[in-house]
Amino acid sequence: MKLRERLTARTLVLAGLVLILVLLPSLATAFFVNFVMTQTLILGLAAATIVFLSRYGGMTSLAQLLMFGIAGFMFGNAALDGGARGLNLGWHPWAAVGFAMLVTTLAAFVLGAIASRTTGIYFLMLTLVYGVIGYFVFAQIVEISGPGGITSIQRPDLLGPPVRLYYAGLLLSVLAYLGFRASRRTAFGLALQGVRDDPVRMASLGFNVALHRALAFTLAGFVAGLAGLLNVWWNGQIDPASISIGPTLILLIIAVIGGISSLEGAWLGAFVYVLVFTYLRDLPLVDGIGITEARFNTVIGVIVLAIMVLSPEGLTGIVQRLRGGARPVHPTEKELGGTRP
Amino acid sequence: MASVVQVSAVTVAFGGLRALRGIDLDIARGERLAVIGPNGAGKTTLFNVIAGDIAPTTGAVVIKGQDCTYRPSRHRPRLGLARTYQKARAFAGLTVRENIYLALAGHRGRHRALWRSSADRAMRDEAAEVAAQVWLSGQVDAVAGELAHGQRRQLELAMAVATRPDVMLLDEPASGLSRGERERLVELLESFDEQLTLLVIEHDMDVAFRIAQRVVVMADGEQVTAGTPEQVRADPHVHRIYLGTEAVA
Repeated sequence: MKLRERLTARTLVLAGLVLILVLLPSLATAFFVNFVMTQTLILGLAAATIVFLSRYGGMTSLAQLLMFGIAGFMFGNAALDGGARGLNLGWHPWAAVGFAMLVTTLAAFVLGAIASRTTGIYFLMLTLVYGVIGYFVFAQIVEISGPGGITSIQRPDLLGPPVRLYYAGLLLSVLAYLGFRASRRTAFGLALQGVRDDPVRMASLGFNVALHRALAFTLAGFVAGLAGLLNVWWNGQIDPASISIGPTLILLIIAVIGGISSLEGAWLGAFVYVLVFTYLRDLPLVDGIGITEARFNTVIGVIVLAIMVLSPEGLTGIVQRLRGGARPVHPTEKELGGTRP
Repeated sequence: MASVVQVSAVTVAFGGLRALRGIDLDIARGERLAVIGPNGAGKTTLFNVIAGDIAPTTGAVVIKGQDCTYRPSRHRPRLGLARTYQKARAFAGLTVRENIYLALAGHRGRHRALWRSSADRAMRDEAAEVAAQVWLSGQVDAVAGELAHGQRRQLELAMAVATRPDVMLLDEPASGLSRGERERLVELLESFDEQLTLLVIEHDMDVAFRIAQRVVVMADGEQVTAGTPEQVRADPHVHRIYLGTEAVA
């Protein structure tokens, strides 16, 4: 593709946005950068894997937070030593990164291979079961999760200052976004979309449908694992409750808020979620109408409800309408993991 | 001539419904065979069994000497078998070029490549050439979902042609086409290499009889008769099945 064809208005807007994000540490407060935006990038990266599987593979996965958690737990077990909880292997931080990503990717491949024979609601339920089993594995086998979680997790020296973690999140987010976008036109990406649209036809063309689904799940698991590593470095700890059913659904909700058929929507949804989570308590008179921090999930539920009613394509659909440009692309039933009627 | 496809005593039962009842078929290399019959005769089920989309309840399917009875459909393209469907099943969200590209990639096993390569670019160019063969060169970058019905059928055919198969199964290729488009379809089918084995299900008798060297007539899951187009045209059974009357002398 020629450079001129690549320079669409959308590309220019996204490039401008990335430029602003690069300059953000010198424009905004440290709290906004290191808390709000770093968390946004981490959750956005994880939610983007849900969008990737749904948009290109027709698979709505509830197992992405499990991959996120496996990477975090494995890093904690491998990197920590003496006095900390977990296996205390005491490896070099980058060896621990390699170990965590290897285990996460293998787990994603095995779980993806099993789930690849299901579609639609059955795939969704199976991945929910993965999430539940994963939670209980880490909650009950305290040797790998420590009683009450693994704490005092240090990030590698390279990512020492908090702003570097922000830049790491930004770099991985940009790479994941470009990679997922680019994969759409590769042989693998085209095959995945074919599998999404008509698996029987794809098999008749000579494709191994189950293998393609499993590979897509593995790729998504790998990226979710990277987000999980950023998360433990940002949080400094991980516990089984952080990958329980509640947070699992929150990640799906983030993808839905942004627009599950749009990759950009993953980060947009994460931004809105983190903003509401962080600043809800600061809104004037919010306490007066009975909305307290403890009712945060109710507020998020109402926001999701409003978005689903006003724009099933999420916030990106609303943005496209406001721009008055092309009609928003409605996600097809297949893109949302539906089944052929 | 050597058999390229052998179907032996194939029965397919869907619960209590027997869609195929002991079908035997021996198809020679380069043969042009039309399968005709009223709706519900079992023609498409027979195609699905040969193409591996469904496994027979009993019986066997041998393609080029290999027993494929229970081998899944994804192994068929490498045996040189390609098919089209009764309802065009091109991938609606992809372009004409990408649809044909997938057919090429599936056949050649290149679909696991994650990133573009020179072979990948060559396949994209080849896809455009195949599109031109079925008169779709003007729509090569059009999204398949936006094509007219006739063009979708052409695309379906292009996806089968692209793999340069030895055996092609066409399920009602003329369905929904205009008179002009049918003429072009027949011209295209007649232009295929003589070594290509062609199995066609077709309701349009004019198209079926022009293409076929041999016609098999099915009804209620059974083979009723078979013969040259002239023999079948004159067969009183065929008239009874289609019209409920005897042939008019």
